[in-house]
Amino acid sequence: MFQFIFDALIRSVDLALIAVALSAVYSLIKFPNVALVQYAVVGAFVAMSLHTAGLPLLLAGLLSAFFVGLLAVVFNILVFERLLKVDSAIALIGSLALSMILSAVFLLTYGPTAYRFKLEVTPAMRVLGARITDHQITTLIVTAISLGLFALILFRTSLGREMRATATNGVLAAATGIDTRRVTNVVVFLSGMLAALGGITLAMRGSVSIDLGTNMLLPVFAAAILGGLGNALGAVVGAIVIAAAETVVTNTNVGPLVGEDLYFLPASYAPVASFAILVIFLLFRPRGLFVSEVSRV
Amino acid sequence: MFDFFIHVASIACLYGVLALSLNLQAGFTGLVNFGLIALFGCGTYGAALASGMGWHPLLGLPAGIAMAALLGLFYARLGRKLSSDYWGIATLSIAEIIRISITNEQALTGGAQGISGLPLLFAGLKPYDGMARLALYVVVLALVWLFCQRLVKSAFGLSMKLMREEPQLARSLGYDLDRIRRVVMLVSSAIAAFAGFLYAHYLTFVGPDQLVSPETFLIWSMVIIGGVANNRGVIAGAFLMQFAMAYVPFIKDALELPTDFVAAARLIIVGGGLLAFLLWRPKGLFPEKVGGSNGR
Amino acid sequence: MAGNLLELKDVSKAFGAHKVLDRISFGLSAGEIVGLLGPNGSGKSTALNVISGFLPSDGGEIRLEGDNITNVSAQRITGHGLVRTFQLPSMPHRMTVREVLQAGASGNASLASMLKPFRFDDELDELLESFRLTHVADLPASALSGGQKKLLSVATALRSKPKLLCLDEPTAGVHPNLRADMVTILKRYRDKGVAILVVEHDMLFIRELCSRCVVLDRGEIIADCAPRELEDNARVVEAYLGKAVEKGKVAL
Repeated sequence: MFQFIFDALIRSVDLALIAVALSAVYSLIKFPNVALVQYAVVGAFVAMSLHTAGLPLLLAGLLSAFFVGLLAVVFNILVFERLLKVDSAIALIGSLALSMILSAVFLLTYGPTAYRFKLEVTPAMRVLGARITDHQITTLIVTAISLGLFALILFRTSLGREMRATATNGVLAAATGIDTRRVTNVVVFLSGMLAALGGITLAMRGSVSIDLGTNMLLPVFAAAILGGLGNALGAVVGAIVIAAAETVVTNTNVGPLVGEDLYFLPASYAPVASFAILVIFLLFRPRGLFVSEVSRV
Repeated sequence: MFDFFIHVASIACLYGVLALSLNLQAGFTGLVNFGLIALFGCGTYGAALASGMGWHPLLGLPAGIAMAALLGLFYARLGRKLSSDYWGIATLSIAEIIRISITNEQALTGGAQGISGLPLLFAGLKPYDGMARLALYVVVLALVWLFCQRLVKSAFGLSMKLMREEPQLARSLGYDLDRIRRVVMLVSSAIAAFAGFLYAHYLTFVGPDQLVSPETFLIWSMVIIGGVANNRGVIAGAFLMQFAMAYVPFIKDALELPTDFVAAARLIIVGGGLLAFLLWRPKGLFPEKVGGSNGR
Repeated sequence: MAGNLLELKDVSKAFGAHKVLDRISFGLSAGEIVGLLGPNGSGKSTALNVISGFLPSDGGEIRLEGDNITNVSAQRITGHGLVRTFQLPSMPHRMTVREVLQAGASGNASLASMLKPFRFDDELDELLESFRLTHVADLPASALSGGQKKLLSVATALRSKPKLLCLDEPTAGVHPNLRADMVTILKRYRDKGVAILVVEHDMLFIRELCSRCVVLDRGEIIADCAPRELEDNARVVEAYLGKAVEKGKVAL
């Protein structure tokens, strides 16, 4: 039982960082930036390369996150600010196009194979009957710290206040003297960092390949939309729900339904659970579980 | 080389039909559909169904169209309350759900391996079957084009365009936006399924890898690069993109580049082309003709 | 004062705890032009939105020629003969003025008409002429000036031959010459039996056009009389004086 909870928790943590990034940046740039999952992959690849080159993991991770944050701002200024002037749907298409270009870059630089971080494999511990590895603990800690810092910035600093003001009503915020463009780019930077960290922790426990981004895209979206796009911390709840759903779907014995004693849906069905939840929410409650500040749907 | 050219031209014609379908939805009505490929898939799997059930191959067409119509209506239903970018994500998600389900359902759909052994269209005409097929596809493309032109130049076409840009104005004038959406989705779904049916009997093979989301983005690039809401333009876009994609392997060989170059180059052609046009020439190579001489 | 065409009875609308319309009742008959006035925040635009089906009401009844149109959605209300315009008419970039005007009367095309090219109706030229839009007829509708867009939206609304035309601040931003033309055109339609409800601030326009004025203040009707009687109405003067004196717009 605890293994189940733990698996769901780890899975939700995989999604949470990127979902929070997506949600946070949505509240300011007003369109769902699909390229964010590819930013996560950039983070993973760059961190891996730095680590392989000899840097300690922590430093590699931080440098990579910083780099991705900057990259996100560059793309925002060069591409998305311009496309948003036309329409948010155009910006969405642009972000899909950017994702494809990034995939191509990965393919050319790293090839289609999966890479692993060169980390020691330590035997798993047993806690309350569940298998837990070192890396999973690290992932939980990194995620908790990152989200904690992000929440701190959002709710306890004046920058955070400006961010929230701009998200609620950009025009009014600008009228009160807030440099909305600067605030937006700061959030873009932070969300790039979060996405990179999400990619790194995921890659640390598995591998990093060009498929990482595309496989994550819809579960991350589902989590963000569930929590209410624009409600950054709601995305954490969304991630937990999606992860729980996926874990339930693949771990429940649906044997009796199909006339057998034991039948589990294959793991490849896990995404279907998240997409199905996404579609159901879009059909009946597109604003998400909570009432978010951004009400445009 | 000639055979290869015939092959690429044939595929380009079928993609031209798909581009026309997307143009009706996105170009003329403002429906940002990222799940188009699933409608195409209804056509391919309709053909597979006929083959698997031992029916006459032509019965695969109505089967495919029926499935596509249902899916298209479902997309339309979702569109009632969602703004365009959310709807784009919704349609993308549904297409992915369908693809993953097909991949996993060995028994029904042949799973990841798909279904092969479909009868090849005009097989009896060998060695001229390739040209015969191309001739048919050109005729089909021309007919679909004529149909789409008729539709967008009709009074209904006016309502599509009004809904695209000013839905509130359209509502105040009494237009039933849900109905317009449903009709457009039904028509364009049928067209996409038709393309799928022909494709299945060209490749003689149907599989879920034909329905991956990059395929949808390829069709989007044809519409945006060719010319949004310009039917001739999107056909040109289809030919341009298909030929560009098809000749990449030759460039790879000529320049002695590694194998991965092919996949990467294709991604850059589609993604880079899309982005470049969105930033610098969003109306496409052949922009929409506003007004024109119709109506007189 | 029961009108025989449009009748509102105890219509209310609240946004959360804020009551924007508080049980308002009034009516108008065919061939009557009624102005709906009030200082900003009085609820006149909300009233128009509720009548035209763009906002649901929280209570009361609206009848058009006896038919209950309370909470009938915007797109179905034209079927009852009610068309409205908007305060800030946004016009398409990719349709010409002529096409927008043509679209006004297309309604929901039958399946049979879907494959026939449309033809511009003959009356378009006349309409373009009356609204001084002939010279811009083949330009994209979004290229028009704000005032011209207003004219286009009124012209388009008239295309479906409505029984009741609801205009939301039709003269804001419109050149005085064009305003005079609008008065002439609207009077012509009034004489044909069309009823018109106008939400407006411009008192000159109201005086020239309307036979009656309904004045709202903070969600309640405080007057329902002829325009010239407004100056004598103490409540109306007080409602405006307190709020409009800075604007200098209202001259009673």
